[in-house]
Amino acid sequence: MSAFKRTTVTGGLQRQSILAPLRETQIISSKPVLPAEILSTILDYLPIQELLRFARVSKRMREMVYDDTRWVPRLQLMGCWNESEARRRAEAARRKRSETLQSLQQQEAKKVGIGVNGQPNGTSGAEQPERSSVTIFDAAAEVQRGSYVNGGPSKAAVLELDDGFDAMDLTLKERPVSYKALDASSRLKVFSQVRSLRGFARQEYGKVYGALAPFYLNTVRCENHTNATIFRTYRDPDQQAQMLSNVTKFSNSDMAQGWQQRNEKFAALVAAFEQAVSREFEQALDDGDVAGKMRKYAHVLVSLNGGHKGVEIFISRSSIISSRYRLGNPLDCLNQKGPGIFSSEQSFIFFSNLSTAFNEQVGILDQVFPASVNTIVPFIKRVGKEVIAEYLTPLFDEAHYTNIEAYLKAVSVTCEQCLELAKSLRPTSASGDDFYETVDEVIVGIFEPHIDLYLREELEFFKKKSTSEVSNWEKRLSEQDASMESMFMANVNRQADKRDFLTSFKKVVMMPVNVLPAFPISSPFGSKPATAKALVNGDTLPIPEPPSSQASTRPSSPGVINGTTLSVNGTTTPLPEPPTTELAAKAAIMNSRLEGIRSLFSIEVALNLVHMAKSSIERSAVFVRLGGNFAKDARFQCELIFISLLQTLGTRHIKAGFDQAVDHLSNYNPHETTDNKRSTVTPLITFLELVNVGDLIQQMIDVFYGQEMVAAKLTDRDDFLNPAVKEKKRFEQMLDERVAAGLNKGIEVLMAEVEHVCATVQKAEDFNPGASTGANPDVMDIGPSEAANQIVEIVSSHTKMLVGSTDKNMLDVFNQEVGMRLFAALCKHLKRQRISVNGSIKLISDMNHYFTYIQTLKNASLLQFFKALREVSQIYLVDPSDAKELATIIADGDRFYGIFRAEEVYQFAERRADWYQIKSKVERAMYGIGCVVM
Amino acid sequence: MSESQTLKLMSNDNVEIPVDRDVACRSILIKNMMDDIGEQAMTEAIPIPNVNEAVLNKVIEWCVHHKGDPPAANDDDADTRKKTTDIDEWDQKFMQVDQEMLFEIILAANYLDIKALLDVGCKTVANMIKGKSPEEIRKTFNIQNDFTPEEEDQIRRENEWAEE
Repeated sequence: MSAFKRTTVTGGLQRQSILAPLRETQIISSKPVLPAEILSTILDYLPIQELLRFARVSKRMREMVYDDTRWVPRLQLMGCWNESEARRRAEAARRKRSETLQSLQQQEAKKVGIGVNGQPNGTSGAEQPERSSVTIFDAAAEVQRGSYVNGGPSKAAVLELDDGFDAMDLTLKERPVSYKALDASSRLKVFSQVRSLRGFARQEYGKVYGALAPFYLNTVRCENHTNATIFRTYRDPDQQAQMLSNVTKFSNSDMAQGWQQRNEKFAALVAAFEQAVSREFEQALDDGDVAGKMRKYAHVLVSLNGGHKGVEIFISRSSIISSRYRLGNPLDCLNQKGPGIFSSEQSFIFFSNLSTAFNEQVGILDQVFPASVNTIVPFIKRVGKEVIAEYLTPLFDEAHYTNIEAYLKAVSVTCEQCLELAKSLRPTSASGDDFYETVDEVIVGIFEPHIDLYLREELEFFKKKSTSEVSNWEKRLSEQDASMESMFMANVNRQADKRDFLTSFKKVVMMPVNVLPAFPISSPFGSKPATAKALVNGDTLPIPEPPSSQASTRPSSPGVINGTTLSVNGTTTPLPEPPTTELAAKAAIMNSRLEGIRSLFSIEVALNLVHMAKSSIERSAVFVRLGGNFAKDARFQCELIFISLLQTLGTRHIKAGFDQAVDHLSNYNPHETTDNKRSTVTPLITFLELVNVGDLIQQMIDVFYGQEMVAAKLTDRDDFLNPAVKEKKRFEQMLDERVAAGLNKGIEVLMAEVEHVCATVQKAEDFNPGASTGANPDVMDIGPSEAANQIVEIVSSHTKMLVGSTDKNMLDVFNQEVGMRLFAALCKHLKRQRISVNGSIKLISDMNHYFTYIQTLKNASLLQFFKALREVSQIYLVDPSDAKELATIIADGDRFYGIFRAEEVYQFAERRADWYQIKSKVERAMYGIGCVVM
Repeated sequence: MSESQTLKLMSNDNVEIPVDRDVACRSILIKNMMDDIGEQAMTEAIPIPNVNEAVLNKVIEWCVHHKGDPPAANDDDADTRKKTTDIDEWDQKFMQVDQEMLFEIILAANYLDIKALLDVGCKTVANMIKGKSPEEIRKTFNIQNDFTPEEEDQIRRENEWAEE
């Protein structure tokens, strides 16, 4: 406390006395003097005027006030301080200084002499030549100060300091002059004159302050807006706006106490001005004076604050927004073609109207607003929000409420149309490169609220629809089941139709399919649809189609084609209804061919499912183009649809069908059927047909996957962890398994049939002529017996059917198995016959017949068996008198390729008609010889 | 509980003043000290070596009144110079003290690192400066004039742009 008292006493003393220096030392040590950083903080709160007055207090204060750190932030707040520019200038200055430093030092001695006089003018006169660079003075002052502080008395030092300082300010002296000379128009451009110069931030700020502060302070003080000098100085609204904009910028640098109120007040003035101009602009807009007043006031608004207000007014008054209902009624889309059906024409009309109107408005915008203002982005945003979104939302809601399918279509079609619209929009000259990105963003924004629901509904819809399709079919099937069963068994004529179908089917369908697997990878589009079409052309003609099927399928296929067009624009064909895709071409052929066939599962159903999936996926795929998360979602959804397709088609449809077919097969008993004439096993035919159809479906799926999913980049073929790929694999595996299981059963059934034929068709006299009838044994026809013919016919017709429809390996295994089983059956059959020497001719020709058939299978190991069988048949040819030779043959294992052992051959030999006559001879020959050897 | 929440501050004239802990922690200095030395600070009086009792009491008075204030966001960007709030009424009254006291409070706030109080003090001083001539300012701040009249005039001239 005592310290305080002392300071108050001494602090008040400003008398110059001898004791003063002594006291001052005391004062400084005891009086609470605020440290520099606190003073600096205090200065922050002072208005400019006070601040500069404070600079006059003392040198330290001046330094503090003049310091760049106090002024650069103000310049920064006004946005006219460029740090890199400042750095560049500083670098340049430093270089110059070091160059001139030496020459200055040479002049130094001279200057000392002159400088002692302390006349600022004199010094400045001496330094006149160096005035070209401001920094040189700085350096000079620095040098001078150093020399004088060392040498001269304090008074001289002060003078010299003053001197140096004065010299530094020579350039500044010009400033008040230039400031005074600032006329009204140069004040408008004051910001362009501001340089970023280190060490001179105060002076630069001074330029702006001098130009703008009077207006600012006047406006803040002024009670009535209209009286403000700013409006009295400038009459032209454009200049007023520029000035207001400048002052607004300047007001940012006001950081003295109470700046908030001042800024608010000034902002109120600007707002009032903007209001007035906006009214004028609106007025002009109403009058339609585009090139005149509208343009003028738009420019005023732009120079005031970028013209947001003008753009906003323009947009909200724009005919698109204000009369948006004239562009189209959303509910028209749903009501035009009857309730609940979405018609894309109506929405298309809406979008094309919108596009025209928008481009028209953009033209006006371009005319009214200067190119520096990006008017179109807010415009398109607004249009998106208020026109498109308001059009779509009720449409979607209504459609969702009434009909899901219409909803799905509506969402997808409108999205596509939106994207088209985006392309048709014309950017203004000011919109820049990212215009279309912005438009896309807007579209994404519009669809964002709908997309989740849509994708969910799409999947749900597909699942429901496909399930119902399959169950419908199942229901229909079970209704027909009883009658169909009998029809299958009884109607032999149908077999011919089916065979006919199968052969033509293989010819027509397999070819494009064989070509197809390579397609999605690299091939150009042109050639393959052409082949497909050629096939369509070539094959529809020779094969007559039932008129009923034509009537039922044709109307549907063009629809399908239209609904699922892929882009094959390059190829044009003269066909009236050219199938535009391979898939569609296939579909058309399939539909017509398969129309008459009711099977255990239907390729028609599969086709329908595939088409449904296709349209669903295509609808969803539209959203992939939106990019970002939506694309990911949409892709994922497409995969889900594909998976669901496979599951419905695979497990529910095909698997059930195969199971049923296998069931049929296992229930088959050849003895129960009385019809001896047929050459085929009906359930096996059905099954093999199923294999073919299943294979066709699988190929179809593969093509579909390749074309729709991979080619459209919805999924990645190589990503083996991808659920779609996994599901596809599983589907194929399931199919293979079913086929394998069915074939297993099929072989059994086939062999049962063969045995049945053996038992029923083979007559006793075939191989033993004359035994029962007593006819002339010498007369006989050479050639295979009827039974052999039938057996070969049965087996070969069934095995052929599989060719090309299943995997090659599987086919080989199948053939091998069939051959082996046939071999076993024949052996068994042979052991039941009695064969005379005469009959052996027949037998040998039978065996040759089998052998020739087996040769066609191209299976080497199988061939051995039948060769052996052929050899065995030779033993019956041996004359009874040559019993010894017979024994040799029997014992000769090599003769039968090791397939039959001697015992087995012996068993065969037992079937000779004259066995009992020669038995003892043969046995003696066999074992007797053997004994001798032993 | 309430026992542990009180700590003692000792002014430079050896007067112990009990203060609530959260009040004292308006001072970043004390707060940091508490964080550093922990519970030991509770038992002994914390010496505040360059603040006397009267000033310390004043500072504590301010802290008590402002103990509910949200902690100042210490952002160091360019806009920190643009201080937003004006002095509220209570603070204005609080600052109606003689100049030495005001300076002492500012110094104490600076030392104790109580930013809000320091700001209020600085604003008050800024208000004091307003409208004063350089000579008056020199008197107020006890600053020696080391300018010649010509020099002073020179500064006035080169800043003419700021005059109205």
